[in-house]
Amino acid sequence: MNAILECKGLTKSYGGKKALSDVNLTIERGRIVGLLGPNGSGKTTLIKLANALLTPTSGEIRIAGMEPGTGTKKIVSYLPERNYLSDWMRVHDIIGLFRDFYGDFRPDKAYDMLKRLNINPNDKLKTMSKGTKEKVQLILVMSRESELYLLDEPIGGVDPAARDYILETIISNYNPNATIIISTHLIADVEKVLDHAIFIRDGQVVLSSSVDAIREQGKSVDGLFREVFRC
Amino acid sequence: MLGKLLKYELKATGRTFMPIYAAMLIAAAVTKLISALTAGGSEVPEFISAIVYIMILMGMFVMTFVVMIQRFHKNLLSDEGYLMFTLPVEPWQHIVSKLLISVLWNLGSLVAAFLSIVILTFDEIANRALMLDLFAVIAEFLTIFGPTGSLVVLEIFLAGIATTVFGILLIYASIALGHLSNRHRTMASLGAFLGLTAFAQILFACLTLIPNVRVLQHYMDTLQESLQTSIVLFHYVMWFTIGFFTLLSAGYFLITNHILKKRLNLE
Amino acid sequence: MPWDLKPDRPIYTQLVEHIEWMILSGVYPPGSKLPSVRDLAKEASVNPNTMQRALAQLEEDRLIITHRTSGRSITEDSEMIQKARIRIAREQVSEFLEKMQKLGFDRKEILSIINNMIEEVGK
Repeated sequence: MNAILECKGLTKSYGGKKALSDVNLTIERGRIVGLLGPNGSGKTTLIKLANALLTPTSGEIRIAGMEPGTGTKKIVSYLPERNYLSDWMRVHDIIGLFRDFYGDFRPDKAYDMLKRLNINPNDKLKTMSKGTKEKVQLILVMSRESELYLLDEPIGGVDPAARDYILETIISNYNPNATIIISTHLIADVEKVLDHAIFIRDGQVVLSSSVDAIREQGKSVDGLFREVFRC
Repeated sequence: MLGKLLKYELKATGRTFMPIYAAMLIAAAVTKLISALTAGGSEVPEFISAIVYIMILMGMFVMTFVVMIQRFHKNLLSDEGYLMFTLPVEPWQHIVSKLLISVLWNLGSLVAAFLSIVILTFDEIANRALMLDLFAVIAEFLTIFGPTGSLVVLEIFLAGIATTVFGILLIYASIALGHLSNRHRTMASLGAFLGLTAFAQILFACLTLIPNVRVLQHYMDTLQESLQTSIVLFHYVMWFTIGFFTLLSAGYFLITNHILKKRLNLE
Repeated sequence: MPWDLKPDRPIYTQLVEHIEWMILSGVYPPGSKLPSVRDLAKEASVNPNTMQRALAQLEEDRLIITHRTSGRSITEDSEMIQKARIRIAREQVSEFLEKMQKLGFDRKEILSIINNMIEEVGK
């Protein structure tokens, strides 16, 4: 069994609204996958379900064959769209926390990346700009040697130079046993790095294809996306 | 993992409480000092210092309450929850670690308050005769209870812990229940709090009034006649209290755990 | 030479072409060692899987050799390289001729333009 993520008939409703509707997906290991769709399409819901931050209304989701829970949290590294660090901590403190709780965390990697980006580990998170905090979060997530990385809008609010750095980090951290799922609506920037693209709209998967297959038809993923999601 | 959570919880809260405890003890010491220095003269400086001390003292108890709520709500159910709930840790461990540290600070605040009073009254404490009298009174009070005297201290301590734990879990459960609603979570939490409190009161009334009525009645009637029975009554009441609050605490814990485990919905 | 990857063609074919150019134009001389897949992928800002496929293709074309212990290097087989050079030259010319024909030039005109340009560039 090589699939790192499997969804069968996965549905999540809130009240009357279906955020995800009968989603069926299989994602193999060693891939870099784009989860692409407009805002509110269900990308974040899917990622939260994978992290056990939500429970399915019906259907199932499995990570490396396990139901999302403490066991999967050990092998999943999640970068949410928001800032989730306690303001009063210093960077040293949060690195200590990650090292304490995650067996796959590599502090030396984290410190290297911080140095590269000129972030002082002694600084308090409270004093940092939003962009710097996002970089710190990314560094923490990518310094783990996990089996599945879930990155929710990693390049959203960041300047182009930082975007390049983030993509570079993703590429460098690639290992054939790990899978990276990038959820974004900024497709053009991220295309070159993807093996596989999943288009999602209104809680349903509308396309799941390798990037090569799309490009062999003479379109970029971004171009196809614009066609499929034309307003 | 629980140990690590305790460590971080302590770190996060200690930075609030240690300064407050220090400030309060210093305020007590300063008041005492001023009192000694201005003895016989104007009472105003001592008065002002005492007011400051009392305000810090009250602030400390308020903070104990506020921090307890904040640690649960802010750290678990708002943005920081994205970090907390993706740590490879069971939800019950989050609840227990925060509960234990809240109990710690509750006790800590009492100890700190006690110490500040010792500071304020240390010259009276130095009065050996007075202290000996005080201890004599306490000892005599305990001997009334006969062979069960030492049990009383334990009972009072356990009852204190049980009611504190109950109070904390009541708040946690209220916040968790409020989290279930999609909008107006604060209102929902307050509603849940009222509901859970009412439930506790009703349950208490049911348990004490109905089955125990005759038992209590019997003991009440014989109260005047026998010291022995009133001692038994005392122990009975104490253990009933301990049992009741422990049971409710367990119930509120289960509610909170279920919500965090199965009905989590972070924005 | 910057990795200028177009959005509407498969990436791995573009990678194959780019690396071929680098080999044939001497940026990666014959016999020289090639950077690791990861480093190349980083340089090109592409998925390492895709870079891997491109290198596999080049290996099939015999332009690159994988050594079991020391990574990849460019072939020293000058015949192979010459063949590749000619192939690319022919591709370029074929593209050129197609465009010229669309513009309506005949053979004589095309040759004359070429000769003039070669002289100009020579100066």
